[in-house]
Amino acid sequence: MELTDADLVARVLVDDDQHAFGELVRRHQSTVRGLLRQLTRTDLALADDLSQETFLRAYRNIRSFRGEARFSTWLYRIAYNSFREDARRRKEFLGIDEQQLQAEQDPHVSDPGLKHDLMHALSLLPLHERSAILLCCQNGLSHSEAARVLDIPLGTVKTNVLRGREKLKRTLAAWGPT
Amino acid sequence: MNEMSQEDPVDRQLREAAPYIDDNGFTARVLQQLPAPRRTRRSLRGAILLAATLLASALAYLASDGGRFVVVAMERLSTLPALWLFALAFGSGILVMTVGVIAAFAKASELQS
Repeated sequence: MELTDADLVARVLVDDDQHAFGELVRRHQSTVRGLLRQLTRTDLALADDLSQETFLRAYRNIRSFRGEARFSTWLYRIAYNSFREDARRRKEFLGIDEQQLQAEQDPHVSDPGLKHDLMHALSLLPLHERSAILLCCQNGLSHSEAARVLDIPLGTVKTNVLRGREKLKRTLAAWGPT
Repeated sequence: MNEMSQEDPVDRQLREAAPYIDDNGFTARVLQQLPAPRRTRRSLRGAILLAATLLASALAYLASDGGRFVVVAMERLSTLPALWLFALAFGSGILVMTVGVIAAFAKASELQS
């Protein structure tokens, strides 16, 4: 029988079982790295550095995981905080979106398919809408879970998801009805 | 899950567009950076406790004229009626079990919190 995330966390807490923690990393590395790749706008090296930082922080602070939320939600919160702190350090957190949006709206970018267009359109969204879309629409978090991860009011999350989704639909309108 | 009862097509496409990222040594790199397991610190604590116990026992043995008080206590016990001995053993068992149960509950509530 496969152990649940809660079982593995208990093993880490009681026995400091690093193999159990390794299993948690293996289970969640793809979603955490995927989230950070989107947040960092596909800067793979930075995303992987932040992903490592996320899991190391998770290990150091695993006693603060209360089990009220899913382990993945708790990880997303750490990942988002790592990203935000790094962005602040780089002084890119505010004001970068519009600038980068202009740079990325290069008419020579090739569009090999709907998936590519969708991910490209996603990367063009402002950070607050992109984060909400990534958590709620791509990773299946509820609005209230995303509000906890992003540390913003529930209503703001709902608005950001709605706006982001509408923008994506408009961008993809050329592909016909979605 | 989301509060929306019907999945939006954009959500479905987003999920399908998200690729699975192969581990490619990522987990190993994370594990390499973890601090040393607490087990070493725990075994050091065990060794200190064992050494302190041995030292205290040796001191008690020397200070009590070769453990004479143990012989006296055993002699007294052997003169007790069988029922008293049974009650003493039973009471000791209950006491140890109670302490064990309390410790187990304390550990369980610590893990749950």
